[in-house]
Parts: sequence; C-alpha cells; structure tokens
Amino acid sequence: MSSSNVWSRSRARMRLFPELLAQCSGEAAAYGKCVASTTTGKQELTKNMCVKEFEALKSCFQSAAKKGVK
Amino acid sequence: MNISVRSLRSLRGLSSGRRGAMNVFDRSTKRKQKEWASSLLDSDKYDYLRDEVGSRVADRVYDVSRTFPLALDVGCGKSHMAEHLSKDIVERLFLTDISDSSLRNRRKCEIPSHCVLADEEFLPFKENTFDLVLSSMSLHWINDLPGALRQPDGVFIGAVVGGETLYELRCSLQLAELEREGGFAPHISPYTAVTDLGNLLGQAGFNMLTVDIDEVQVNYPGMLEVMSDLQGMGESNCAWNRKSLLHRDTILAAAAIYKEMYGNEDGSVPATFQILYMIGWKPHESQAKPVKRGSANVSFADLSKMSKLQKTNEKS
Repeated sequence: MSSSNVWSRSRARMRLFPELLAQCSGEAAAYGKCVASTTTGKQELTKNMCVKEFEALKSCFQSAAKKGVK
Repeated sequence: MNISVRSLRSLRGLSSGRRGAMNVFDRSTKRKQKEWASSLLDSDKYDYLRDEVGSRVADRVYDVSRTFPLALDVGCGKSHMAEHLSKDIVERLFLTDISDSSLRNRRKCEIPSHCVLADEEFLPFKENTFDLVLSSMSLHWINDLPGALRQPDGVFIGAVVGGETLYELRCSLQLAELEREGGFAPHISPYTAVTDLGNLLGQAGFNMLTVDIDEVQVNYPGMLEVMSDLQGMGESNCAWNRKSLLHRDTILAAAAIYKEMYGNEDGSVPATFQILYMIGWKPHESQAKPVKRGSANVSFADLSKMSKLQKTNEKS
C-alpha cells in the first residue's frame, strides 16, 4: 500500500459522499425542486436563489459526516 | 499471433502546416488519463460502454459483405472490436492507440495483429494502405478530425459519442454552478453534432456517407458514480478550457439537482450516451455516380401506371 497522502485521503472522503447524501435525501429533493422550478419559471437562475434550501442540505450533510458512516 | 510494439512519437511542431487546425484538447493529458485508466487493477469494470459500442461497430463491418485484407483500428484502447471480428472478414489488423498500457492489456483476438503506439492525429501510415479503417469511441478527443481521417484509405466505419451525450450531467453542473457561484464553466467536452459530422467526413474526402444515431442510457446510483465511471473509462475531460476545480458545495448541489431533475423512480439516475455511427467510402471508379442531367428515359408520370403494372403481374 502506498503511503497516505492528501490525494488518497481526499479520494477516501469522496467515496463516502454518496452514502452521506443518501441520508439527506429530503433536503436534497427540496433543493433540487427549488432549482428545477427556476428553469421553468420566468426568472433566470441567479446566485443564491435557493440558498435557504442549500444551507439546510449542507448542514444535514455535515452532521451526517460528523456522525460517521458505519 | 504476431505482436510487435513500435513506438512512433511524431513531433507536434510539424502540425503547423495543417490548415485551420483547431486545438481544443490537450492530447498529452488524454494520454496520461488513458494510461492511468488502463493500469487500474479493476479497469475491466469500466469497459461496458466500449464493449457495447465495439460490438455494434463490428456488426456494421459484417453488414459490408466484403473481406478486408488489411484493417486499421484507430484509438483501439484495449481492442474492443477485434474480438467480435473473424478472420474471414478481416485478414490482418493494425491496432493503434495513444496509450501504451492499453495496448499491453488488450483483449485476445484470433486475427493476426500488430500494435503501433501512435497518436490518432499523426498516424504514421502512407495513404491507400488500408482497406478498412475502424474507430470506436476515440475520435471525440481529436482536435483536427478531417486531417486525422485524411490519411488512410478504403472504408471508414467509426463510432463517436456526440450530440446530447451526458446532457443530464452537463445541465446539473451548469445549474449548480449558477446557483452556487454565479457563473459556470464548461465541464463536459464539446461534442460534434450529427449535422456537423457529415460535413467533417466530406471534408476528409469520403463519399457515400451514412450516419446514424443510437442512444445508450446507463443507470447509476448517483452523480458521483457517473463521474467516477467516466474517470475509470479514461474519458475525463482534457479540453484546454476545462476548469480544474469543482467546489465541494457545487458537487453537493449538482448531485441533488441531478437526482431531482432526472432521477428514476427507483432512486437511480440515468446518463445518456448518444453514439453516432458513421460509414464513409473513399471515392472509387466502381461507385455509382449521379447521371448527367437530361438523360432521363422514364418520367414520374409513369408512377401512376406502376400500380396497374403490379396488378397485371399478380393476375398472370
């Protein structure tokens, strides 16, 4: 096994991503709906249009990461 | 099977003579990506798309009912087409690829073959050498497509990804970057549209083209798996204008958008690969040419008499 470096550590962290995201499916769906609604609506999508939903998703994701994945 | 691996590195500087050459893709990065992908221990896991497209291209070779004494496989990767071809159709085969470890890890096939390490844009062969040129899933990373196809001769049967490939991934990343960062950069490489393909092949000197489209939809658990499979296939982006950074927030946002906008009922997400198959023939005297104007000896008015003719034939 090669030594642990920043690339192997960040790759290992990325591998956990799908499982953590699965734990926040509700928040992810809400954020996705918010962005999808702008594509059909009259307004253009601008920065931070769905920031509330995204912050909810991010905090859920971070707490899932803190709990650790078994 | 006769194997000889010869390395031919053409000098990039000689390409300045090519007219109007675009430089969209960084070929040395593409070589590094392909080397990395083919040296993975589980690289066979990522071969599903190439195998499928390779078998469909081989089908098209069978449809051309001829035997080809000498064939060339451009950008063969681990040679996904040769295993479907037989010695009656292709007698000898040359395999070229930009990546050395792909050629070393290639599949076995019964046709006697030679491997040549060469960049697709700088093929070291004289004109009119080959009767059949094949290419599967590698021409979409070439900068100067007409120039690359101009050299060898005979029939050209190829498959590239094009048009609407990976539109779900492209749109999700675009929307996520817009919402999170206020602007977006291209992350997916630019593809040839179907309409442009005919022009490109015409510029390369081919007659009698056929282009047809096939859509392959593969379902994945999520966006991250799509991206890691693309990486494992050696299909990571190598365009010069690619952004080298993708923020964590943007990845999270894009994965959520992908799932919500394109997800299937069972929770998986689809990724579309639009494969464009092309068959082109180099001009030859035996090919039918359009007849001279004014030489018609039947008229369209006779079409109405056709049905009467058919009825009399049936009665007799």
